[in-house]
Amino acid sequence: MPDSGNPVTLAATADLAAGYAGAAAIEGVSFRIEPGQRLGLLGPNGGGKTTLFRALLGELRPLAGSLSLAVGCATVPQTERSRLDFPVTALDVARMGALSRLAWWRRPGRSERARAIAALEAVALADRADAPFGELSAGQRQRVLIARALVQDARLLLLDEPFTGLDSAAARRLEALIDELAAEGRGVIVATHDVDQARAWDLVLCLNRRQVGFGAPESVLSREVLEATYAGHIVEIPVNGDRQARGILPPHHHHHEEGE
Amino acid sequence: MLESLQQPYVQRGLIEILILAVPAGLLGTWIVLRGLAFYSHAVGTAAFPGLVLADGLGFAAPLGALAAATVFTAGTFSLGRARRTGEDSITALVLVACLAGGVILASDVFASGANVDTLLFGSLLLIDGGDIALAAVAAALAVVATLVLGRHWLARGFDPESAKALGAGSPAIDFALLALIALATTAALTAVGALLVTALFVVPAASARLLTRRVPQLQLLAVALAALEGVLGLWLSVETDAPPGPTIATLSGAGFALALALRWALRRPRVLAVTALGAALLALAGCGGSDDDGPRVVATTTEVADIVRAVGGKDLEVERLLEPNTDPHEYEPRPSDVSASADAELVFRSGGDLDDWTEELLSDSGSDAALIDLSEDLPVRLHGEGEFDPHWWHDPRNAITAVEEIRNELAATYPDHARQYTLNARSYLRELRELDAGIERCIGAVPASDRKLVTDHDAFGYFAGRYGIDVIGAVIPSITTQAQPSAGELAELADVIRREGVRAVFPESSVNNRLADAIARDTGASAEYTLYGDTLGPEDSPAATYLGMEEANADAIVRGFTGGERGCRIPAIR
Repeated sequence: MPDSGNPVTLAATADLAAGYAGAAAIEGVSFRIEPGQRLGLLGPNGGGKTTLFRALLGELRPLAGSLSLAVGCATVPQTERSRLDFPVTALDVARMGALSRLAWWRRPGRSERARAIAALEAVALADRADAPFGELSAGQRQRVLIARALVQDARLLLLDEPFTGLDSAAARRLEALIDELAAEGRGVIVATHDVDQARAWDLVLCLNRRQVGFGAPESVLSREVLEATYAGHIVEIPVNGDRQARGILPPHHHHHEEGE
Repeated sequence: MLESLQQPYVQRGLIEILILAVPAGLLGTWIVLRGLAFYSHAVGTAAFPGLVLADGLGFAAPLGALAAATVFTAGTFSLGRARRTGEDSITALVLVACLAGGVILASDVFASGANVDTLLFGSLLLIDGGDIALAAVAAALAVVATLVLGRHWLARGFDPESAKALGAGSPAIDFALLALIALATTAALTAVGALLVTALFVVPAASARLLTRRVPQLQLLAVALAALEGVLGLWLSVETDAPPGPTIATLSGAGFALALALRWALRRPRVLAVTALGAALLALAGCGGSDDDGPRVVATTTEVADIVRAVGGKDLEVERLLEPNTDPHEYEPRPSDVSASADAELVFRSGGDLDDWTEELLSDSGSDAALIDLSEDLPVRLHGEGEFDPHWWHDPRNAITAVEEIRNELAATYPDHARQYTLNARSYLRELRELDAGIERCIGAVPASDRKLVTDHDAFGYFAGRYGIDVIGAVIPSITTQAQPSAGELAELADVIRREGVRAVFPESSVNNRLADAIARDTGASAEYTLYGDTLGPEDSPAATYLGMEEANADAIVRGFTGGERGCRIPAIR
C-alpha cells in the first residue's frame, strides 16, 4: 500500500460517499493513486463506477468523507450515439482540451493547434486529424479523447469502459497507450469489466455500491472480494495443482437476439 | 421583375431579413446542435403576455416581448438547473404558464381578445427603424458570442459530462446561449411573427447540417441559407401578393427537402452522375442497357465477396458489405451499404444466421436485386444451433458448389461476359481442388490421435469433418459469438483438454481471444496459432483471400497439432 503521507498523491479519498439527490450511490470509498499508477476500477453495472468518476470530476459533491485532488482530471467517456453525428473533426475534439488552459475569452491560437496535433501524434492519429469524429473506429475515437486529455495536460485520466466494442487489435493498442500514459507519470483510472486485464495493472478498486477492496491486484482479487463485487457471477476454472483460476462472466454489451 | 424590390417598405424588409439571417444562422447552429429547437420556438411564443401588456399599456411591443422572453428564459434555466432531467418538459411547463398569463391579461385585464392572434404574426413589410436597430444589436451580439463562446458551446454540446473537466462547465455559458436566443427570436418576432421564428432559426441550420461536416462551415451555410430563403421569400411574396412570413417558412421547408435530396445524391456518386448527365443519358440507357459502368454485384461476407471476385475477375465489380476481421454476428448496415444494395442487380449472401440481415437491407434500400443464398444447395450441410451451421466454406467441396452457382448466376445475368466468367471459374475450381487435396495431405500426415481441435468459436465443424479432425470443444461453446460461456462449460472444457492431452487451443482472429488465452494458460496448451473463422484477414495478410485463409488455417492447425514442428504449404494454389 502506498505511503499515506505521500505529497505527490494525485487523488485520494477517505470514506467517501457520493450520490444523487442526497441518496448515496457509493459509500466507504477510500483509495489513493500516485503518479504512474494504473488503477482498474471493477464493479458490476450500476455498482457506482460512473458515480465515482463524476465525484472525481467535481460534478458531485461528497455526501460524506473526503476527496482531495492534487491535479485536474480529464475524462475519456464512452461514445454515445448522439456524439457520432456531431460536426467535429478529430482535431476539433483534441483542441477542446485547450479550453481549460485559456481564460474563457481567449481564443485558441497556433500554439494550441500545435499542441492538439502533437497530442494526436502521440496517440498515432495525426493522419486522421481532419476526419470527422463519427467516422473513426471505436478504438480511434477512444484515442482521440485521450489526445484531448493530453492537450488538457491532465495528470489523472479517467477512462470509462474504454475497451467496450474494441476488437482485439484495437484493445491491445489501447492497453499499450495506457501503459505509455502511466510511464509518463500520469495516473490512469480505467473502469473495466475485465478482471484479467486489471490484474496486470498496479492497483484495483472493487466497487459494488460500497468499496469491496482496494490495493495491489494480487492481494485484493480474492474469490471473496470478486464474489462480493459481482454478487455471484463468478466462473471457476479448476486447474492442475492447488491453484484455482477464476474469471468473471463478461457482461452482455450487445442486445442482439440470440440465434434461434 | 426586380422593380418590386425598389419600394421602400420592401427594402426595409430586405435589410431586416438580411440582418436577421446572421443571428438566425449563427444561433440556429447551436439551436440545432444543442437540441434547443423547442426552446427557441417556445421563447417566441412565450413573448405573448409581454406583447399583450405592451398593447394594453401602450409601450413598444419589442420591449414587452423582451421582458416576457427574459422571464421565460430565467424560469426555464433555473428550473432546468434544479432538476437536471427533462428540459423539454420544463420548457413546456414555463411556456404554458406564460401563455395562460397572456390569455388572462388579454381577455380579463385588457379585454383585447380580438387582436391577440395578430400579435403573434409579424410582417416583414411593416418594418421600422427600431426593428432594424434591434435586429442589428442581436446580430452583433450573436457574432461576438459565437467568436468568444462558440468553442465552449461546442465542447458542452459534444460532451456534456466532460464539460466541467474541460473548463467549459460554467452554467453562465449556457445561460448566455439561452439569453441570446431569447433576444434574437424576440427581434425576429416583429419581422416574421412568433409562429414562424422556427422557419428562420431552426430550418436553415438544420438544412445546412445535412450538408456540412464542421461547425464553421455549418454556420456560414446556415447564414447564407437564411438570407437566401428570406430574400427569395420576400420577393416571391411581393410578386404573388402572399404574406411574406408563411412564404419564407414554405421556402425554408423546401430548402430542407432539397438539402435532404442533395445529401442523398451526394452519398450515391452514381445517382449524382446520372443526374448530371441528364435526360439524354437516361434515354440512351433505355436503349442500350443500364450497365454503362459494367456489371456490379453485392456480396455479404468477406469469403463470399472473394469467391465472387475470383469468378468475376476484371469483368465484375463486387461491393463487399462486411469488413475483414469484423464479426458478422454484430453487423449493422452503413448508409453506403444500403445504397450499394439499392444499385446492384445481384446480391450473393452466405446464408444462415451469419447474414440474416440481408433481406431487410434489400427491402429497406428499395432494391429489386435478385438475392442468391449460396447455402441452399450445398453438398455438405451440418446441423448447428440455428437451422444449420453457416460456416460452410470451411469445406472446399462446398466452395466448389458455390463457385459453380456463382458462375451460372453471373453468366445468366450478364450474358455478354459469360465466356470470361466460365474461364475464370474453371481455373479457380482447379485451385480449389488443389487446396482441398493439399490440406488433406497436410492433415493426413498428422497421426489421427493428435488431431484434436479446441477453438474459441465453433466455426470449424466443416473443416474438421472434411479432414478427419476431432473437435474436442469450443471455448465459446455456441454457434454464435454473441453467446457467453457458462462457468460449468468452461470447467468441463478445461478438464477435457487435460484428459485428452490437447497441445493447442486456437483463438479465432475476429473474436476477442482472452477466453482462449485463459483456458490455454490454465491447461498448459499453446494458444499462439490463430484461425480465421468468420472473416478473411485484412488486405495485406496471407488470409486476405479465401484460398489464403484456408491454407493459413491448415498451416496453424498442423503447427498446433505437431507442437510447431510442421506447417502446411500448398504451392499449387499460388
